[in-house]
Parts: sequence; structure tokens; C-alpha cells
Amino acid sequence: MKLYKKEGNVIQILSFPNETVEKGDYLLIDDAEAGKALITQVIDVQFANIPGILEELLRNLPDGGELMQGEDFDPLEIAPHITYIQDASLLVCKIRATVENESLSPSSSWLPSRSQSTIRKLQIPALIKLAKIDGGLPIVLGGTKDSSLLTIDASSLDGRLNIITGKKDTGKSHLSKLLILSMIGYKATVFVFDLNGEYLSLGMTADGKRNAHYDKIHVLTPSENFKVALKQLNLHVLLDILIHALHLPGTSAREFRRIWQSLKERDMLNMHELGEAIRNWHCNQHVRDALFSRYYALVNSGFFTDNIAEATFLEECLLKAKEQGGAIIINLRNTSPIDRQIVVEYLLAKLVELLTSWRLKAIFLFAEEAHLYLRDTYWDDIVTRMRHFGIFTTFITNQPDTIRENIYRQADNIFLFNFTNEHDLEVVSRAARVDAETVKSIARDLPPHYCLALGRVVRDFPMVVKVKALDVKTLGETRLFFRDAD
Amino acid sequence: MHPQALQLKMQPIPLKPKHEETIVAAVDTSSIKIGETSTGTLIAIRGANVWKQNRKYRYIRLGPFIFHITEENKRELYNTLQKAYFNSPHENNHQSSPNLLQMPTRMANLLERWLQTMLSKTISNGLILFDGSLTSGTADTPIKLMKEILEIARKRGNIVLAFSKMTNLRFNGQLITDVLPVHKPPYLLETAGMKTKPPIVLFGDVYVARLTKGNYAFRLDIDKEVSFEQKMEAVEKLLGNDLLSQSYPETLRLAHILCTFTANEVIAMQHFIAQKYGVKIINRPDMHRLLFGPFGKGESNS
Repeated sequence: MKLYKKEGNVIQILSFPNETVEKGDYLLIDDAEAGKALITQVIDVQFANIPGILEELLRNLPDGGELMQGEDFDPLEIAPHITYIQDASLLVCKIRATVENESLSPSSSWLPSRSQSTIRKLQIPALIKLAKIDGGLPIVLGGTKDSSLLTIDASSLDGRLNIITGKKDTGKSHLSKLLILSMIGYKATVFVFDLNGEYLSLGMTADGKRNAHYDKIHVLTPSENFKVALKQLNLHVLLDILIHALHLPGTSAREFRRIWQSLKERDMLNMHELGEAIRNWHCNQHVRDALFSRYYALVNSGFFTDNIAEATFLEECLLKAKEQGGAIIINLRNTSPIDRQIVVEYLLAKLVELLTSWRLKAIFLFAEEAHLYLRDTYWDDIVTRMRHFGIFTTFITNQPDTIRENIYRQADNIFLFNFTNEHDLEVVSRAARVDAETVKSIARDLPPHYCLALGRVVRDFPMVVKVKALDVKTLGETRLFFRDAD
Repeated sequence: MHPQALQLKMQPIPLKPKHEETIVAAVDTSSIKIGETSTGTLIAIRGANVWKQNRKYRYIRLGPFIFHITEENKRELYNTLQKAYFNSPHENNHQSSPNLLQMPTRMANLLERWLQTMLSKTISNGLILFDGSLTSGTADTPIKLMKEILEIARKRGNIVLAFSKMTNLRFNGQLITDVLPVHKPPYLLETAGMKTKPPIVLFGDVYVARLTKGNYAFRLDIDKEVSFEQKMEAVEKLLGNDLLSQSYPETLRLAHILCTFTANEVIAMQHFIAQKYGVKIINRPDMHRLLFGPFGKGESNS
């Protein structure tokens, strides 16, 4: 390999057919005389612009597009040299860091010698060691292309905002399961908004037996084993539900506040008394109608109960998870969109309350397709206010444009699976922790189950990894009409 | 030659394509300077024979042959090849030591004559297309050699047609290929009265060939020793057996394309020489560029 060109932080390297380099590989450009080396990553492999190549190709196809039959008498055997030159490739690389005295700096301000520098592949284990990517709480993500393991540090997810994205069936949920299980292994409390019921069997092996995590997986299904009593709620939580999930107008909300305070003063906060209070409250008929329709929406959700004994499971699960780590899976599979919003509003408010009062230290929240249940104002809340309270969110989506641009900009880690659609890649490339070219070039060619890890987890050295297999029972698979026909 | 003596008969000889199955074969060679060394120059030559048979084009390509030519070895090299392939050292010794600049062309011509000989010896009842004219007596084309080639071809029932891409022959002050009567092609225009100064000998009758639509025409030399009818029949067979584009036969075009060196191949040969023989190629500065900057066209274009 030979150093050809440097423009900004892009380096072009000439590579010959006997040197196998692929997109995503790391190269070390070592300038021994300068005592420094550049770490670069290949983001594109192109044909080298060899003069005369067009003529070479054209003259072999003169006969109506068919190859012309003939013999070449080439006594000096020049042909292999011609092929060698023709097949030379140009590696477009991004500078990731400078190594000087075994320490890394993000600088790309110096120019290595074109004639004296040596260029070699930098194996992932060496890079991991150099960049100190694996820490005290290792999570093995999977294997890299050079058959080594990519291990990240669980603490690099702590206090961070993460995004897992890629098109359908590329392995997003698989990675999030891996992260969840690894986190609870380190006694973390994990919350999962499970839209398709994919995480319900995290505690089971593929053949349906209990696995080591069985006791740490708590599945909460709203209106079944997960209910709340009005007494457990703060007024502002219920108002949030009424205003944001059930679109209660402001005037009606004011009346509701009065009703609530009246019931609270009389220690009569339950669903039955709430219904009676609305019925007998002196107010405008339209307001009453509005309050009644919301009241019945709450009743019909089945999420609210007057039986306190029924409403303690969440607290119990949280207590267990706090002690030994655990994942609380909120099963939203068969929940209607409005009920889903009610549950999420309640949960987020509850979590903030628990975290504010330090009854919980911090939680890791995994939210699948969050745009389906998260109201607009929560997005900013999640990345700013809630993060300070200790809610560290991981968004999982196959529609990257449903996540706001400011979320990408503030994301600390992105796990990117394959995307072929230009628009999707454009959206993801707005992430602040990586350049757009890397995202667009590498993500487009990722095979299924391969993921490009970006951000703090890899110390800003984007790495492609094949996510390791998990012995976990798969649920949430798409129902197929023709499956039995096989 | 005496241009003043040249007459161009403006009465076109109309042609009709003759589809009688006939082999059409063509020869071409090319040369290129690969680089300079401290003692001389590195050149490469390559030749190609292309023929069309059963509606398919086939080829044999020879080379590249690479030579390191120095002032010391150029005469020996040239004469050795001449002797080895034509069993005759050069006729005119005063011309036998070309300067280094001429050597690529001279070496390519040597290969071209050899390929032409081989083709005339192996093909029968076919048409053999040469690039250039049937003029001989020059340093590159000894009379004896051209005579032999044409004789062998004739003996085997072949007819040699030589197409010149460029000509200096003029009639009434205009290039003969520019004076085209209003007539539907394909046709030939006959010339007469062409005289040459010794030692130059013309082995062909010269025609202007306009074989397809469009204003392209070429000088065409056809072996003098064959009858007028045979000459016309040969061109008609060419029309009936080969593709013609812009009045130029495809077989000859392919021969040219196959032997021409591309920039890619030059780099590959430089790579080969450096790898295998450790020969160091010197990049001499282009004095035109150096002295005249953007006004210097470069030595190769000057």
C-alpha cells in the first residue's frame, strides 16, 4: 500500500490486488522518522484511476459485446503486470487518531511521509488495546471481521443516550436483548417498553427452559398484572395523562383539578368516587361530558384499579431489580395506542418520582419505536431533564426519521445496522459523533446481524461487529400465512 | 514522387459488394517509448494479425517485446533481428544505424514486415490488408522484402490491399482524398502517372477509396501485378465480407486497436522492468514545459 493523497481528514491509499482490505478496516500509517502514526479507517474502496483503462476495456469488446477470440503470445509475461495495475484499488480512509508515544490524540494536523511511511492493517484487538475500549465491565458484542471479539465497557452506556437503528430483520432487537442481559448481569435496573412482545421470554433459553436470568426478568402487562390505584398517583401525573394522552381541554382540566382536590381532602381517591364526583359536580355540561369521556377511557383501559393489593407489582419488581439487578418488561403488545400512552405517561412520571426521591439510583430504559407512544414534549425531556434524574435511554427503531434530529446530535452511542435507503442514511448521518461519509458508506454494505458501533462505546473508533448469538427464546416474530405450508 | 505528374480520374469506378466467402486478414504493429535510462531508451513493440472467417473476428497478438536500446547496441540489435527473420542484413548500410528516436518505429516496422510475410504464407485466396502504402525502398521497407511478400501472397491466391490513413498525394493542389465527386459510394477513383525517384519503388496501383457514406476516403494501394478486374473484385469482396465504417475496414481497425499500447500497459511494463530487471527509469524534465511554462506544449506534442 502506498500513501497517495490527503485532503482534510481524508486520506487516499493506493492498494494492490495482493493486499486485501475492506470497508471498515483500520490501517496504521507509520512514519518512523516523525515518530508518529496515523490511525485511519477505510470508508470506501474504489478502482484506482489508471490511465488508459477505458481503452483497455473497450478494445476487448469489439465484436457486438462478445469477447473476441484470439491468442496472445506474451513471451515476457507482461499480462499479469497489466492485470496487477488494472486491479489496483484506491482506499478512501478517514483519519481517526494519531499515535505518538503509545498514546492517542484525535489530531490529523500533520502529514506523514508519502515515500517513507509504511502502511499496514491494524487488527481490531490491537486497536481495542490502544484505545482502551474494553474496561472493567466487559460486554462482548460479537466478532469482528478479523475473527476477534469486540468487547465494550458497560460503563460506556451508563448515563448515556443510545440509539439502535437499522432496517427490518437486521438484528436490532437481538442487540438490545444482548445489552439488556449484559446490563442486568451487572445488577443494573432495566426498563423495556416492549411493543411487540419480543422481550417477554428473555428469561428462557431457545428450547424453552429457564436461563440464568429467569428470576431477573419481570414482565408487566398493563391491565393484567400491572395496574395502578389513583391513590398511588400524583395529580400532575394524571393531568399529564388526561391532557397529553386523552387530549383533555384546559377548562375541563381545571375542573378536574378541583374534583381531584375535593376527593383527596375527603380521602376518597378511587375510580368509583371519581366517576360519582364528575356526575355530581356543578359545572358546565360540556365540561362534564368531556370529563366523563376521559373517565371512561381510563376505566376501559383496565389499567386503573381501586384494589390497592392489585397495584403493587411494579413496586415489588423495582425492589427486586434494585437489589440484584433486573429487567422490567412492559408488555405493550396488545395495548391500544391510547392505553399505551397512558401507561407510558404513568411510568415515566413514576420513574422520575422514584429517581428524584433516590428510591432508585438510575435506570436503563429501552424504548422500541418510541414515536408510537412517546408524546412530542418527552423527547427533549428524555435527553435532558430525565437523563439528569438517571433515566438512560436506548431508542430502538427501524424508522430513523421518527427520532428527532436533536436526539441524534446528542446521542452518545449509535448501533447502526444495515440501511440502503438514502433518506434513512441521511437522517442517521446527522449524529454528532461520526462523520456522514462513514455512516453512509459502511452502513449501506452491512450484512444482516452486522452492526456499526459508533460513539463512546468504541471510543469514537467506528467498528463493524457481527452481533453474537443469544440462547434466548425468540418471540414477537411476524405471523406468516405460508409458514405451515413449508 | 512527382506530385505534379499525378492524375486523378474523376470518373468513379462503382463497386458492388461481393458476398463470396473470403478471408479478410489485417496486420498492424505499434511501438512506444517506455522510458529513458542513463544509457539509452526503453521501447516496446507489439503486433497483431486479425482475420475474419465465418463471420467471426479472431486475432493473434505478439508482444509486447521490450528492448533496451543504447547507442552501443542499436546497430547490432537491428541487424541481428533483420538477419534472423529475413535472412538479410540491411541493404543500405548508411541507413542501417537509425538514431535512438527512430528506433521504436524501425523496430515496429521490422515486426510488421515479418507479420505480413507470415500472413501471406499462411492464408490462401484471401484478402490481406496492410496499414500504409505499398511503397518500398525506404529504410523500413526494403524492395526485396516487399517484393517477396507480394509474390508469396499472389502465389497463394491472395490480394494485398494497403490502406493509408494519411496521404500527401495531391491533385490540382488538393489532397486526393479531399477531391470526391458527387456519386453514391462505394466507389474507387483511379490515379495515373505517379512516378517515384530511386530507390523508391511503388508496388501498387494507387486509388482513392470511398467505400461508405460520409466524406471519408482513403488512399488504397493494390498489388500492381494483379489484373484490373482482380483488383476490383478484391475490393468488392472486401465490401461483402468485412464491416466498413467510415470507409475503413473493421479488420484493419481491430488490428490497430489490438496492438496499440494504452497508458495502463506502459505503467505495467515499467513495473515489470523495475521488478524483474531492477532497471531505473529516469524522469527527464520536459524542457518545453520547463522553459515556456503554460506556453510549452510538451516535447511529445511539439
